[in-house]
Amino acid sequence: MSKQLKKIEAELRKNISNSIECREWRNSIVLEGKVESWDTVTAAGKKAANRGYKGVVNKLTVKGLEIPQINSPSFTDTTLQGKKVDVLVIGGGIIGCSIARELSKWDISVLLVEKEEDLAMHASSRNDGMIHPGIEPKPGSKKAYFNIKGNEMYTKIAQELDVPMRRSGSLVVYDSYWVKFIYPYLKIRGNKNGIKDFRLLSRAEAKAREQWISDSVSGGILFNTTAVLSPYKLTIAYAENAMMNGAEISLNTIVLGMKKHKNDITSVLTNRGEIFPRIVINAAGVYSDKIAEMAEDNFFTIHPRKGQVLLLDKKKGSMLTSVIGKLSITNVKGTTKGGGIVRTIEDNILVGPDSYEQPYREDYSTSRENIENLMKKHFEILPILKPSDVITYFAGIRAATYEEDFIIEASEYVPNLIHAAGIQSPGLASAPAIAEEIERLTCKVLSQYKQINKKQSWNPIRKGIPELHKMTPEERNKYIKQRPDYGVIVCRCEEISKGEIIDAIKSPIPCVTIDGIKRRVRAGLGRCQGGFCLPNVVKLIQNEAGIKAIEITKKGNASNLLTGETKTDSIAKEVKK
Amino acid sequence: MSEIKTYDVIVLGAGPAGLAAGYAAKQAGADVLIVEREDRAGGILKQCIHDGFGIIRFKQKLTGPEYAERYIKMVNELSIPMLMSTFVLGIQKNNELFELQLVNKKNGVFALRARALVLANGCRERTSKQVFIHGSRPAGIYTAGTAQYFVNIMGMLPCKECVILGSGDIGLIMARRLTLEGSKVLGVYEAKSTPSGLARNIVQCLEDYNIPLYLSHTITRIIGSGRVEAVEISKVDESMKPISGTEQVVKCDGVILSVGLVPENEIAESLDIKLDPNTKGPLVDQNFMTTMEGVFSCGNALHVNDLVDYVSESGELAGLQASRYARNSHNRNLIEIKSNNRDFLYVVPQYIDTSSDNKSAVIYYRSRDVKQNVKVIIRCGYNIVYQNKHSVIRPPEMEKAELDLSNISINQDCKLEIIMTEG
Amino acid sequence: MRKITCIICPRGCTLEIEEAQGNEGYIVTGQMCKRGREFAINELTNPTRTITTTVKTIYPEIPRLPVKTSGEVPLGKIFEVMKVIDKAVVTHMVKSGEVIVKNVLDLDVDIVAASDMYIMMGV
Repeated sequence: MSKQLKKIEAELRKNISNSIECREWRNSIVLEGKVESWDTVTAAGKKAANRGYKGVVNKLTVKGLEIPQINSPSFTDTTLQGKKVDVLVIGGGIIGCSIARELSKWDISVLLVEKEEDLAMHASSRNDGMIHPGIEPKPGSKKAYFNIKGNEMYTKIAQELDVPMRRSGSLVVYDSYWVKFIYPYLKIRGNKNGIKDFRLLSRAEAKAREQWISDSVSGGILFNTTAVLSPYKLTIAYAENAMMNGAEISLNTIVLGMKKHKNDITSVLTNRGEIFPRIVINAAGVYSDKIAEMAEDNFFTIHPRKGQVLLLDKKKGSMLTSVIGKLSITNVKGTTKGGGIVRTIEDNILVGPDSYEQPYREDYSTSRENIENLMKKHFEILPILKPSDVITYFAGIRAATYEEDFIIEASEYVPNLIHAAGIQSPGLASAPAIAEEIERLTCKVLSQYKQINKKQSWNPIRKGIPELHKMTPEERNKYIKQRPDYGVIVCRCEEISKGEIIDAIKSPIPCVTIDGIKRRVRAGLGRCQGGFCLPNVVKLIQNEAGIKAIEITKKGNASNLLTGETKTDSIAKEVKK
Repeated sequence: MSEIKTYDVIVLGAGPAGLAAGYAAKQAGADVLIVEREDRAGGILKQCIHDGFGIIRFKQKLTGPEYAERYIKMVNELSIPMLMSTFVLGIQKNNELFELQLVNKKNGVFALRARALVLANGCRERTSKQVFIHGSRPAGIYTAGTAQYFVNIMGMLPCKECVILGSGDIGLIMARRLTLEGSKVLGVYEAKSTPSGLARNIVQCLEDYNIPLYLSHTITRIIGSGRVEAVEISKVDESMKPISGTEQVVKCDGVILSVGLVPENEIAESLDIKLDPNTKGPLVDQNFMTTMEGVFSCGNALHVNDLVDYVSESGELAGLQASRYARNSHNRNLIEIKSNNRDFLYVVPQYIDTSSDNKSAVIYYRSRDVKQNVKVIIRCGYNIVYQNKHSVIRPPEMEKAELDLSNISINQDCKLEIIMTEG
Repeated sequence: MRKITCIICPRGCTLEIEEAQGNEGYIVTGQMCKRGREFAINELTNPTRTITTTVKTIYPEIPRLPVKTSGEVPLGKIFEVMKVIDKAVVTHMVKSGEVIVKNVLDLDVDIVAASDMYIMMGV
């Protein structure tokens, strides 16, 4: 046992739990034992992180705590049996889809598998849509590098992929004088990270920019490069562009295991058959450590960190320009996320997320306490916000490693495996840069097997579903003339037409779930939360995709909206009086 | 460019309020257009297949569709034009004229003008998020109105075994409806200590079918990944906060919400019309004119009514007054009606226009609490203009006072005031 | 004595009913109109209700047509009547009031259309 290992183990046993045992595996540290609570598990992992080991493999378990199985597709088939591909990307979130798109430039076969019914079902649709300026990550970290680079790339990417984006800037406000003394420290950090455009605002300047912020604000720091966009629209756009350029996407496809020969992965087992890839890319989000484990390369562990978010009515959207955050001692350190107030690209106000450790990787339930705390904490900064403005709330789960940095590298032990793992905030901001880096690494590895060339025909331009409510009347009329369905409003809160919904149903990656349509065109995302339009959307899916109403789901996998027809199986019961 | 057509009155909404408004305005001689965003007239009545509509208007118990069809026929007989599947994108007021921007399949984006507007766009249901129910997000959670559409219009069942949150009338009616169609309703849970729906609906929708009503109970958590699998129910205290330790889990595959209706007033708000925080509808005078000259409001867009008969009544008055305004407007002198939030949930109208030649006013009010043996008095100074004894007064039931103002002088120093006293 | 909520109109009067001595029949109090008395006595002796529901049609634009019983049926017979209604199918365009099922279960009550299919179709 090395000296360092002994030291860490002694510390963990003394301060956290005496049932923890440590060992070394390759160049990582492994924690084992049974402890009392999940907090103990994460506390131990954090304590062991960044202490000279490559990663913390936290195998601590909690007595009596049952972690549910991964949510899986409910069927098996042989669609992919025996399929040979150059690159298999595991995971259809923003990371997997952006990688697939960058790889589609090359004369290689790319297959992306996603276990859900749709793309962007997890962290990529459950975040605040903010493209961070890059002040939070520690200088020198991968987070800092990819965040700054990704942020810069967005102007071009958003345009190529036809994803609306607004460089709204972000204003980090403070209400006490001591922040002025911290600013020089932040300035050094910002400069080190390479942030281009930021400065200190006086109280008057802050108020002039954001007239509705609380009077208690005594100033702020403005980051001009901050942007907002729809993270799920972006993910879908990346995927569609990848498909246009020849990449394949297989939904409802879960990776169940891997076969290896010596160190190489030879095949990947899924519910839809055995796939034979030359290279495997791990972009599996909260399950990226489990994928790594299948390849016997699990040098890190994901600890799911949850956050809850409020979404407010559009009526208040115009009262905000920038993303508003609040500076506190904890977020100066840069590891925790304080959350903020965001005017989304669709002009709703989004509040949050908060941040806390919990053991479940796919539990998106919300709780009264968290939602009330979010309102209490943030409505104070923008006092015009009221609980009655809240139209919905949701939760997301960050795929955090104990090192709290991205893992973007070719595996040290499995020659044909590349990790894009542990991607948490600012993962969305970093995605374009991460994708390019993974593209570079993939080409490097792949060129050992075969000669690869860029495609002549690669087209970076993708057109999205038209957003009629954002058009001028003249533009709108052109569309309606061509397709009268664009003139029939189905979702009244968001002003979404029948034509747009049909476009979503018939999009390159066909979308036949209610949540999927919501993500693509926002039908049902407004203040009535689909009360009026849901039955009409059901009818449209029925007519356009030929799926019976009874089989239509909210989000795939046994989430059927309806349980039967009337007048077919009514069970007569006696009335007693 | 074709000429923009100008109407005397444009009515937004072809539900019971809008149809009545259009009919009354036309009868009074106005050039009227009714605009409807759905493809059929009738509004929410189309899916309200239960009976009990029209007891006051037609002295008959009609079903919702029957009631709506009577008005549709009346409107058709007067050849009042209706634009269906047409959505209002925006309204601007320029020089006493309203310019509407609309969109539909046939015309694309187009404009119309009106001298007066009647907002009759109804109300919408509060959602599970607005009452802050937590837990996971499975399929199987519907507002009562959405469930009603699935069952009555599409012939589809939203659940096999459900609980209902909230004792609003649509929820009670859906409890009976689902039971008749073979679904099991395990119970209706109401956070308040008294039911929100009408007493007759408690009897004929719940008691007739042995469906239990649990007062002072609410859903605190929803459990399930694909479909709803169960709900956690808790008792609540007087301030409607869940009492910890009282949680119980009820297995079910659906949750129907009947937690209240809110007037839809996005158009009114876009015109900067002032809303009443109690009704969530516009502030109006006895002619149902809002704080903006020429804009009238009626039906459930004004305040959520308990009976469709009152919806039509308010529509008729708004339509008539809109047509008068279109011919000949006058300078209003608005004097507020004093009321208090302690005794009343709300009082409509909130103003009297003393310069209007309409000297009769109908005042609608709802009590905040269930009370016995109270007297409601409307007075102007010492002058009592109305009094009514209620042996029992309940929040779900709207009360109505008809006033003759011709002999009363209302002014800033002597306002109408509505009060509730014992006895 | 029994307490009953009157369901004739939305007012929902609380009625008290008890059997009178001699041949008076019943004593009913609490009603605000004369319909209350009849309701209370019925409710005690033979409670009846109108059923409102839907029937299947062959038209895809109108999969279900609203219907109601032309009069009231005994409360205890509701589900039996529903069984008959559930089996009925409308195969031609009907107007409000048209009979869909005649004399259901020999109760002297018809099942009639409660909506006009021509109006529903926008004709």
